[in-house]
Amino acid sequence: MSLLEFARGPAFQAAVAILVFGVFWRLLGVLTLRWGQRQTEPRASAAAGGVRTVFSRFWPRRGLSRNVRTGRFLGYLSHIGLALVVFGGVYHIETIHGVLGVAWPALPGSLISVAAVIALGAFLGLLGRRLMHPTVRFLSTWEDYFSWAVAVLPLVTGLLAGAGLGLDYATLLAIHILSAELLLIWLPFGKLFHGISFVPSRAFTGANYGRRGVKI
Amino acid sequence: MSEFPTFEQAMQQMQGMLEKLPEMAPPMQMPPQQRADRATAVMVQNLDARFGTYLESCIHCGHCAEACHFFQVTGDPKYTPVHKLDLLRRTYRRESGPFRWLYRLFSQPITAEELADWKELAFDSCTMCGRCTLICPMGIDIAAMVHVVRESISAAGLAPPEIRAVEAEQATQDTVFGASPEKLKEVIGMLEQQAGIEIPLDREQAEMLVLTSGLDIMMNPRGLLATAKVLNHLGADWTLRSDGYESINFGAQVCDKEIHKDIARRRIDTAKKIGAKTLLLCECGHTYPALRWAEGIYQEPLPFEVIYISDYLGKQVQAGRLKLRRDGRSVTFHDPCKTGRVGGIFDQPRAVLEAMGDEVCETPDHKMTNFCCGGGGGGFLLNNLPLRSKVYQMKMQQFDATGADTVVTACGSCRLNFATAKMMLESERPIESLVELAADHLPDDEGWRRPG
Repeated sequence: MSLLEFARGPAFQAAVAILVFGVFWRLLGVLTLRWGQRQTEPRASAAAGGVRTVFSRFWPRRGLSRNVRTGRFLGYLSHIGLALVVFGGVYHIETIHGVLGVAWPALPGSLISVAAVIALGAFLGLLGRRLMHPTVRFLSTWEDYFSWAVAVLPLVTGLLAGAGLGLDYATLLAIHILSAELLLIWLPFGKLFHGISFVPSRAFTGANYGRRGVKI
Repeated sequence: MSEFPTFEQAMQQMQGMLEKLPEMAPPMQMPPQQRADRATAVMVQNLDARFGTYLESCIHCGHCAEACHFFQVTGDPKYTPVHKLDLLRRTYRRESGPFRWLYRLFSQPITAEELADWKELAFDSCTMCGRCTLICPMGIDIAAMVHVVRESISAAGLAPPEIRAVEAEQATQDTVFGASPEKLKEVIGMLEQQAGIEIPLDREQAEMLVLTSGLDIMMNPRGLLATAKVLNHLGADWTLRSDGYESINFGAQVCDKEIHKDIARRRIDTAKKIGAKTLLLCECGHTYPALRWAEGIYQEPLPFEVIYISDYLGKQVQAGRLKLRRDGRSVTFHDPCKTGRVGGIFDQPRAVLEAMGDEVCETPDHKMTNFCCGGGGGGFLLNNLPLRSKVYQMKMQQFDATGADTVVTACGSCRLNFATAKMMLESERPIESLVELAADHLPDDEGWRRPG
C-alpha cells in the first residue's frame, strides 16, 4: 500500500471515525452535565435571546470594538478563507460527496488558491498577534500553538501540492491528505472544537440574559 | 433634609469603620488540603452544562481584557477576565470534563496557595460587572464563572477578611454594618420626628414590602426618607418590617450560596406573611439580581413581583402616576451594572430624569457598555484603594466628557465609590441618588407625609 493509498483509505476512515466519535463524546460529556434551575419569572423570551446571540456575536458590539478590530479582522479572514477552500475546492467536494452523498458546484481553482493564500496570511497574522500581543501571549498555552499548526498545515501542504513544489505530486498529495486528517482527528480534542461549541455557548448566554430582557 | 449629614459626610464617618473590618473577620483556620478540597467541591457542584460549554469554548483571543476596567487602567495581562477562570477550568477538565481521565494524568489539582493567590484576581480586581461577557466572540459569560471562583475561594476560607467580616455579621445578624431592628426603629423615629413624615413599620398586611439597606439605615437615612416620601405621595399601600428589612445580601456578593439562600428565604417569607404583591428593593444594585434573578436560590416561582426602585419610579412616571417638578439640569446617569447590564433596567431611570426636565448627557460608554463604578461586587469594602482609584479616575474622566453638571445613579454602593473618587480627585460635580432627586422634585403638596 502506497502512502497515498494509506492516506485515502484506512487513515481517512480512521480520521472520520475519530472525528465523529470525538465530537459526540465531547458534546455529550458537556451537555449531559446538570442543567441550571430557572424559577424566576422571565421578562422576555429566553429562546429568542439565545437565537439572537448566536448570530449577534459574529460582530463586536458597538462601543466595544475599538481594540479588537485586528483580531476580529484576521479571525474573519482566516475562517472565511478556510471555509472557501474546504467547501469550494473540487477535490474537497468530491471527498465530502463520498462520505455524505451530497455535492455542490465547485469554485474555480484560481479562486481557491487565492482564498488559501489569504487564509494562510491571516493565520500568520494571528500567530504574530499571539506571539507579540502581551495579553494574548500571556493567555496562550502549548495547545493554542499546536492547534494553530494543525489548522495551517493542510493549507500549506495543499498549496504546495497544487503548485507541485518540493516532492512528487503523489507524495505531496498524500502529505496534504494526512495533514487534513490530523485536523479532523484533533478537532474534537483541542480548541478547534470552538467551531462547534460556539453555538451552544452563545445560546446559553443569550438565553440567560434574554429572559431578563437584556439583548446581549 | 438639611438636618441630615450629606452623603459625603456620612461616608467619611463610615471610612473609619471600613478600615477596621479586617480585624473583625472570624478566623478560618484549616489545613491547606482541606481548603483545596472544599474549593474543588464547590467548583464541581457548580459546573453545569452551561459552564462546561463555556470552558470548552475559550479560544484565548484576549478580547475580554479590552472590556475590563481593571485591565484598561493597568494594562496588566493578569487582569484579563478569562485568566481569572484558570483554576475553575483546570478543575473542570480534571473533575467534570469529557476527557477528565486524560487530564488527570497530565495536570495537578488546585492548591490552597493558588486559591490564596487568586483572591486578588477574583475579589480585588473583578467586580463581576459583566462587561467582558459582552465582548467575548464565543459568548462566554465570564462574570458568572468568576462568581463560582469567588464561591470556591470563600469556601476555602480565603475570601478577603473585610468581606468575611461583613458576611459573618449577616450570617448571624441578618443585617450588616450594625443596622439592627432597634437601629431601624430609631432611624425611622428620627425621620418621622425631624421630617414630619409617617413611615409605616410592621404593618401586618400590605400590598408592598419595602426593603431598605444597612447603608441607608446607618449612613444615609436620606435614602430611606426619600423612598418613603415617594411611596406616600403615590398612595402606595406599603410597609417596612423589622423582621425583614435588609435588602443587602452578602451571600450573593461573596458568592456564598447558603447565606444567599438563607437571606433571600427570610425576605420571601416576610413578603408572603404580609400578603405582599410587590417587593420593592431600595437603591443597592446587587440586591436586584440577588432576589429578582436568583436562579437556583428558591424552588418555585415567587407569588409576588420583585421590583427595583429605579424600575418602579420609571414605570410610575411612564404610566403618568408620578409627576415631578421640572428644573431642567444637565445630568449624566451611571447605570449600576447589576440593574443595567445584568438586570435590564435602562430606560426607566432616564424616564425619571426626563420627567424632572433634565437633559441626560450619556458617558462615552453607557447603558450596556457602561463601565463599573470600580467597587461593585463588594469591592468598595476592600482595602485596595491604589488599584480602585485608577478606575475611579477613568470614571471621572468619562463623567467629565459628558459636560453634565451632576452625576446621578441608583445604587448606594456606586455612589459610595463615586463619593470616594470625588474626594480623591477633588471633583466638584455632585453625585446624586435617583430616588432622592425624585423625592426632592415631588409636587408642592403634603401628600408625602402620610401613607395612602
